[in-house]
Amino acid sequence: MARAELFASSKVKTDEIQPTLQEDFVEALKLAGISIVVLLVAAFFFSAVVGPFFALGSVEETVTDVLTRLALLILPYVAYISAASVARRYTFRATSRALGLAFSCAILIYALISAGHYLLDYGVFAPRPSLQMTLSQTDAGIRIDEVAPGGAAETAGMLPGDVITAIRRDPVDLAAFNKRLGQSELDAPLRLRFLRDGEEMQETARVVLVSDKELGVLLPGLAIVLVFTAIIVFLPGHWAPYIALVGLLFPLLIGYFWVIVATFSYRTKGLVPLDGNDNFGGFTLKNWESIFAGNIAGLEFNIWPILMTSMAIAVLMTFVVLLVSSMAGYALSRMDFPGRRFFLSFTLILHGFPAITLLIPIFIVLLRMGETPIIGDLIGFNTVGGIAMVMVAFQLPLGVWLMKGFFDNIPWDMERSALIDGASRFRAYWEILLPQIRPGLLALGIFAFIGGWNAYIIPATYSIGTGLSNLPVFLNELIDETAPVDWNQVAAVGLFQLIPIFIFFIFAQEYLLNIYAGGTKGSS
Amino acid sequence: MEIRIDNLTKKFGEVVGVEDLTLHIDDGEFVAFLGPSGCGKTTTLLTLAGIYKPTEGLIRFGERIVNQVQPKDRNIGMVFQSYALYPHMTVFQNIAYPLKLKKTPKNLQNESVRQVAGVMGIGDLLDRRPGQLSGGQQQRVALGRALVKEPDVLLFDEPLSNLDARLRLTMRGEIKHLQKNLGITSIYVTHDQVEAMTMADRIAVMSGGRLQAFDTPEELYDRPKTQFVAGFVGNPPMNFIDVNVSQSDGAYTAKTGSIRMTVPAARGAPAAEHAGAVVMGLRPEDIAIASEGEVAGEIFVVEPLGREDLIDVRVGEHSFILLANTESRHRAGERVALQFDMSQVQFFDPQSERSLLWRQ
Amino acid sequence: MLKHQAANSRRNALRSYLGAYGFMAPAGILVIVFFLIPVAIVLYLSVTNLASSNFTSDLAKMEFIGLKNYDTLFNDQFARKIFSNTIFYVLVTLSIFNVSLALIVSLLTTHIDRNAGFIFRAMWILPRITSPVVYILIWKRMIAEAPFGIINQFNELLGQPTYNYISTNPWVFVVVVNGFIGVSFGMIIFTSAIESIPKDLLNASLVDGSSRLQRIRFVILPLIRWPLLFVVTYQTLSLLTSFVEIQLLTDGGPGLYRTEVWSLTAYHRALSNYFGNAQWGYGSAFAVLLVLIGVVLAVIYMRVFRFDELIAEPRVEAL
Repeated sequence: MARAELFASSKVKTDEIQPTLQEDFVEALKLAGISIVVLLVAAFFFSAVVGPFFALGSVEETVTDVLTRLALLILPYVAYISAASVARRYTFRATSRALGLAFSCAILIYALISAGHYLLDYGVFAPRPSLQMTLSQTDAGIRIDEVAPGGAAETAGMLPGDVITAIRRDPVDLAAFNKRLGQSELDAPLRLRFLRDGEEMQETARVVLVSDKELGVLLPGLAIVLVFTAIIVFLPGHWAPYIALVGLLFPLLIGYFWVIVATFSYRTKGLVPLDGNDNFGGFTLKNWESIFAGNIAGLEFNIWPILMTSMAIAVLMTFVVLLVSSMAGYALSRMDFPGRRFFLSFTLILHGFPAITLLIPIFIVLLRMGETPIIGDLIGFNTVGGIAMVMVAFQLPLGVWLMKGFFDNIPWDMERSALIDGASRFRAYWEILLPQIRPGLLALGIFAFIGGWNAYIIPATYSIGTGLSNLPVFLNELIDETAPVDWNQVAAVGLFQLIPIFIFFIFAQEYLLNIYAGGTKGSS
Repeated sequence: MEIRIDNLTKKFGEVVGVEDLTLHIDDGEFVAFLGPSGCGKTTTLLTLAGIYKPTEGLIRFGERIVNQVQPKDRNIGMVFQSYALYPHMTVFQNIAYPLKLKKTPKNLQNESVRQVAGVMGIGDLLDRRPGQLSGGQQQRVALGRALVKEPDVLLFDEPLSNLDARLRLTMRGEIKHLQKNLGITSIYVTHDQVEAMTMADRIAVMSGGRLQAFDTPEELYDRPKTQFVAGFVGNPPMNFIDVNVSQSDGAYTAKTGSIRMTVPAARGAPAAEHAGAVVMGLRPEDIAIASEGEVAGEIFVVEPLGREDLIDVRVGEHSFILLANTESRHRAGERVALQFDMSQVQFFDPQSERSLLWRQ
Repeated sequence: MLKHQAANSRRNALRSYLGAYGFMAPAGILVIVFFLIPVAIVLYLSVTNLASSNFTSDLAKMEFIGLKNYDTLFNDQFARKIFSNTIFYVLVTLSIFNVSLALIVSLLTTHIDRNAGFIFRAMWILPRITSPVVYILIWKRMIAEAPFGIINQFNELLGQPTYNYISTNPWVFVVVVNGFIGVSFGMIIFTSAIESIPKDLLNASLVDGSSRLQRIRFVILPLIRWPLLFVVTYQTLSLLTSFVEIQLLTDGGPGLYRTEVWSLTAYHRALSNYFGNAQWGYGSAFAVLLVLIGVVLAVIYMRVFRFDELIAEPRVEAL
């Protein structure tokens, strides 16, 4: 756009020759062709190179399979977009030319791709499970109108005029029958119950895969393509990134939407809240009540000690992480002592080191600490303190590094001034410097609190069989140990756990974005 | 408080901050440390404050050796370039902080702070925070905080360099006045020679971590002992040219190329004794443009400074900077003659850069 | 006099060091107890046959069996499968989500309105600040069978067949679930890198006649090479060692080790009674390999990304 504006005036002067319709057409088709080839190569790469490679290591290659299908699925749409992008230049100058160009390209591409599908038995022409007969719904049941000669139905002995009532013992209507058929695999036996001349009979038909190459199925597809193309031609350019961003976030958004809906309804199917009779609605607070009543799907509990444990871990962690990291960060930033360089490099190495790999030996460490008097009661195995200390240690490298960065940003004169005014190092740290890195303390504090509040694997591992559980551990118990799981009540516990997280998310986004890149942006 | 620095050396790993500095400062004296940035003046100041520990040498406050004494036990006050006011404290709390650390009783604290604030003229700002103050006000608060504990020594680290020109002039006078009234030994670090010349009793000129000269402003200006001091003190700086000084019939002449200048015997004699070329120094105010004179040249550039013009006159390959009255309206390219007042001429040894006239 | 001075000076230096060590002590103790000692213990455990049956927390009482655990590991037919699972998981998740999607999101959010871009980026933080248990709870409902699953509801709406995804496509969702968490890290790093590119440079390229895509290819990508490399190496290690989401979603199943990864195996063997008998020694052998990779990569990050050059000397020597 900017480019067009820039050169708009020069164009008038140089009296540039407008590209002819043919030239535009060729350019659009060329772009579309390139994108088709690229995606075909990608699909081939996933299915023929990546898949077999991992199959060698005996990975079931479903992901590469999905990628292949994804590439083939978006292939035509990328082609339409490429072609339409050429037409977009004329959208507001010559609308009919733009539409004509885009539509003619789209129809051509659609024809081309459909031809490919037709020849390769793919897409709309892919073989589907079928019994090779035509059916219609009647009051009595599903009436067989026609039976293809030599087809599966005929082989099974079905005749036109028979009325199907059930598959095995499940009564079916036409929709259910088609759904059942659609999910069947090749050669799967379907035992059909049907009425022939008022008499109930039963035959087993074997499913075959048939591609009924009727060109009529292409028409709805074509309509979709033309609408899609028109949208692309008229879509304001600056909307595109927003549409893409919302599209990428979509799974997350509906996921969190589900938690909220589920929490306030009796039950849900997908995203739809339902009452006891499967009708839309059924909004209720009973899921929340059951949290405080202490009984979910037969599992009895008391929410308050669980909540207290969660709080204790999070609060303890926040304070200890802030105190210990800021002290070490201060020393590393402001003090000279033998080994300082070593400690700094070591902090960085620890920052990169995946502490979670040490879960096994820390188990032994906590057990040994638990056997020590006094210390064991405070921070040993099976204690809130022990769990919190492990998590403090895991967050420490980040915390120290972050705090050092914040201290580094305070002018040296501040420190010198305090010392000359008569402060000791500790008072200078406590009274003069700490108040000045409040944003850093807040960011690290939020990080530590969220870490402690969300803690799952460490409390789950180091507090086995004590009834000492925090909210995430309890939530997981609910999912694992109740059958059937009442997902709506579980969702309520989940949302309950999420409340502080949502609060931080709403009020401290900036801090969160800064700190969750691992402190690489150390300054405020 | 008398301060004696003997053979002070401060190294940061391999980097030398200050080397072999010896300096004795009298009680109640106002001393300026003057030098370009990175010359070691601030390092010396921070070592005096106890922020840095000397690598070698001795520092005495009176009779006490303070090498290892902590800053808080030295009873010094310091004003920083950035003022270093504590942003989370009010002006009152800032000024009271040194007293609070001394555990002075609350009512005495209150009294002292109000008194100091009154002297500094910031009595009505005590409830504000530093962020709400102007630069000049912050400066006064910083000074108040340094003074409130009645220090034996006051240290200033370029305190005026963040202020605008007008305010700097006012504060300069105020600080000097205050220091004279209180009689506190003060050390003032600056790179601005006007500040140093106008405020200090004595100036220590430093360069490359070494002391170049330590003398009264007048001595430094009139009798510079090294070429560095001569060049650094005075604005615009002294003109230097390489000349040969010779004597014939009791008259001394300095020559280079086409330039010949007659030098008074008192100054010419030591220069003539030196074999080979010497560096001659002439201050801009000792050169004048005349209708006719000893040397002819061409005006290369004229820089109006307002009150006067700074004129660069080229004579052959030599360039002379001088000051001229704006009313003379000289133009670049004009051919002029130069007249030299040789009574203030300086001569330096080109190798050692020491003065040939004033021996140390 | 001077002698006295020297002694005095040494004593003072020592006192000032003690102060610094005082500040360092709490962090130091935690690091020793929860990093250094555990590294030593895990190395030792991996050469013992510690298991539920002979469990003791006393290192002296454990039975030393040399490298037998490693021998078993290298001859374990499942270890091979788990190894290739791990490579697959890391490569696919990293390339699709942690790098590509992260880059796409940061490019998109830096090309739209500043505030809107910020809000979109903030949304991507959500999976990371949600407890894994709640996050996986959401995904479990997302991929549940019809009629409860959200995806299957969309399938029904579009007239598509429905699936029991956890058994038909477990890998797809292991990758997607972890991928959605992993986007934010790269996104934040790339965004700050892109935002630090001078605006003039970006405008100049447009004036020079490049299209937006060309600008990304020839101006932006070359300028964010280092952040890109950083994200790749850093996230490789996080993916290699993180297992909680997989444990909660599939627990390595369905079936035998279908989605089991290396770090999850270490956990399963030693800490969860999956097999009825926790094999501490054998599990530690799995963990040791990850610890070694972690140490090596961590040292490499520090050297390659020159973190140690950021270390400045302190400029206050007083205690």
